[in-house]
Amino acid sequence: MSTRSVDLLVVDDGVALRGYDCRDVVRVEEVAGEPGGYLVRLGRLGSSREVACREVIGSVALAASEIRPVPEALRERIPGEKPWAVGLTVRGMYLLY
Amino acid sequence: MVSTSGVSPLDETREELLREASFSTEASGREKAQEETGPARSLLVFFLGVEGFAVDLAHVRRVLRPDRIARVSGAAPEVLGLMNCQGEVLCVLDLRRILSSGKETAPPAATEGKFIVVLRHGEKEAGFLVDAVRDVMELSASSVHAVLDSVDPSRARLFEGTLAYGGQFVGLLSPSACLNP
Repeated sequence: MSTRSVDLLVVDDGVALRGYDCRDVVRVEEVAGEPGGYLVRLGRLGSSREVACREVIGSVALAASEIRPVPEALRERIPGEKPWAVGLTVRGMYLLY
Repeated sequence: MVSTSGVSPLDETREELLREASFSTEASGREKAQEETGPARSLLVFFLGVEGFAVDLAHVRRVLRPDRIARVSGAAPEVLGLMNCQGEVLCVLDLRRILSSGKETAPPAATEGKFIVVLRHGEKEAGFLVDAVRDVMELSASSVHAVLDSVDPSRARLFEGTLAYGGQFVGLLSPSACLNP
């Protein structure tokens, strides 16, 4: 049985939960003047980018057994940045970016 | 020689031969009819409001009641979200929106009391939210007619044909076209 896992920073973008590899997070900033608004700066592992979110939920360790591929029917209906996997846990479902 | 019933053995033999001939003629007629009408197709009939639709049962993997559907931000409007389907992630699509070809701007459909018909074509699979699942029917391929001219051309690509069901026309959906955006 696999024991590999990934530590995720889980954020609520106002519609859904998203998970980002904690190792890729540069920092999280609170957006001034916007209560509940945060900016997650990413790029420690790859290209730098920023993601706006409503709330930072926290970090979650996701086991390999809780990771599923993104259904093709969804992947081709998401323009722009596409998730690389779906986290499927008893606590909820996250799209992993 | 005449039997006590008044029917000669020759007549009995002839009658038997005729019965057999008639049986084999009927059987070959049935085969011929099947050749003419094509093999039977099994279809699942379901409804969106008062409008009926059918899909070939060969592409139906399962029919489910909607469970908790996780929304997906930034996806196309027909994407209702993702559902945990026995440990697999199922993408659930709003068939009503797909059929409206993006013209419908109503908020996402409520899922209560509805069904999800999971279709598969090739490697692609998705669940389609429908209002009611009505019937499984068998009919010959010749009972499927061309898509009605009155169907909007942008919508017509989603159909394989039309058939009669319960006194109304029902659109036979193309699983491939419905699964591909």
